[in-house]
Amino acid sequence: MSAENITVNVHHVTRVEGHGNIAVNIKNGKVEKCEWQVPEAPRFFEAMVRGRHYTEVARITSRICGICSVGHTLASVKATEDALGIQVTPQTRKLRRLLKHAENFDSHVLHVLFLVAPDLLGAPSVFPLVPTHTEVVKTALRLKRFGHEWGSLLAGRTTHPTRAVPGGFSELPTTAELKTLRKRFDTEVVPDVTPILDLVLKLAPAFPKFDRPTEFMALHSDEEYGLYDGDIQTVTPDGKKQLTKVRDYRKVTNEYVIPRSTAKYTKNRMESYMAGALARFNNNFDQLHPEARKVAGLLGMKPLCSNPYLNSAAQVVETVHSLYEGLGILDELIKEGIKEEPLVKPTRHGEGAGAVEVPRGILFHSYVYDKDCMCQGGNCIIPTNQNHANIQLDFEKLVPELLDARKNEKEMELALEMLVRAYDPCISCSTHYLNVEFIR
Amino acid sequence: MGDDGIGLRIVEHIDGHGLAHGFEVKDLGSDAMKLLSYFDPGTERILVVDCVKMGLPPGEYRLFGPREVATRKIVPGLSTHEGDLLKVIELASSVGYVVPDIAILGIEPASMDPVMELSETLKARFGEYVDAVLSEMRD
Repeated sequence: MSAENITVNVHHVTRVEGHGNIAVNIKNGKVEKCEWQVPEAPRFFEAMVRGRHYTEVARITSRICGICSVGHTLASVKATEDALGIQVTPQTRKLRRLLKHAENFDSHVLHVLFLVAPDLLGAPSVFPLVPTHTEVVKTALRLKRFGHEWGSLLAGRTTHPTRAVPGGFSELPTTAELKTLRKRFDTEVVPDVTPILDLVLKLAPAFPKFDRPTEFMALHSDEEYGLYDGDIQTVTPDGKKQLTKVRDYRKVTNEYVIPRSTAKYTKNRMESYMAGALARFNNNFDQLHPEARKVAGLLGMKPLCSNPYLNSAAQVVETVHSLYEGLGILDELIKEGIKEEPLVKPTRHGEGAGAVEVPRGILFHSYVYDKDCMCQGGNCIIPTNQNHANIQLDFEKLVPELLDARKNEKEMELALEMLVRAYDPCISCSTHYLNVEFIR
Repeated sequence: MGDDGIGLRIVEHIDGHGLAHGFEVKDLGSDAMKLLSYFDPGTERILVVDCVKMGLPPGEYRLFGPREVATRKIVPGLSTHEGDLLKVIELASSVGYVVPDIAILGIEPASMDPVMELSETLKARFGEYVDAVLSEMRD
């Protein structure tokens, strides 16, 4: 054990310009403090939906997050539909699956190329990469733009979607619009993704090496790689899988409060579990599109992978998956033609739950409705909250390893920041105002 | 939260009352990169309406261009949910995007409390902000 004194204090002001603090104190080579501190973001939304008609609830809960708006909308409408006995049509399911892929693609492109890639290239942000990797940055911006436009075609807009409602879609894309989108996949997206993949493969050796046996939770469907629908599945390091119905989500999330943190933790069969792309990869690898499995192979990834840094690599695999699965769904919809359908109405009332995979992991919504279809209460468990305990335990294993490897303060700080970044956390309540000073 | 939502309120008001003549209103939420979708030859001008901390008295507003300011916002870079509009514009320009004429109508917040309502200060001047946007977009 070394005799070093090290302090890592990465401080971000909550609900202002960041979220979460990293606090590590090492004295005379002994770890005295090692904490991922995340003040709980207030979830007034669960109170706001009370007394609201079922047609209003998703419009409120989509505002939990401006980035994961599509996911919150879909989890919300599914929970409402479950509570009110609404069975949507196959066309609606297909459009929602396509929308889910759009969100995944859009978000993963942003995360991998603008946040993670600078780390792997040794740059503090994407800006220094402009002169050295100009074409890559341009391509990344084009792909980001495409992801947003793909999602907007289906959802009306990707921030606080307007078209995905309980019972179906309030407005449908036309077959002609889908054909235009389909053409853009061939002429823009596939040509752009190829050089990006080449870059990621070159950078893959730079992903930090770390391993901690972990339980992984994700949606599992017999029909496809779980993103839109399925049951809750977890897999533990021994490979044993556990399947649970979404309505019983509380039995596997088990939220609890711990004295040192205002953020709730969750646990299931182990002390913590991980949600996100790596969790989906580990639970549903065999259902990935063949092109995505190919990329996984080139990255040297296979289940069970328990290096949380590789959550970003799993996102790259999923970007390819969503690209090709999206193409397949588009082709089906174009062949069938879009048909006008009325919204399906409620047939009962009561309690219901819905889950989808947002880019950051499995998301749960549940509501109770009375006989007038007015919401009496709701509950939401977002993936980032589910990951807090896992991040904490990762820190507790990683810090001593970094100490033994004689990393200095700056190297330790970077390693811990990269770990948090790899989880792609969701800052649901950060304010996003501008903060400027005028140049005189 | 609180006055952070002023831009959204103005956009919703203009859209809801059918006041957008000759221009479109869009809600970009917190993902400033969505602005990229409007950087094309068909876009003449973009007016961004948002809560901005400028060091002015609460409720005051000011129209400015991106080049007139330097951002003080610290983006820790931990999450996709952080963002800085000015940085997005800078990044797009640096790789050769043709950036349309952009102006920002910044409104100094009075309160950023986690509530769903605007502060009384901004509520009292809401009509002025809407008029300022309409005036700017009709010019």
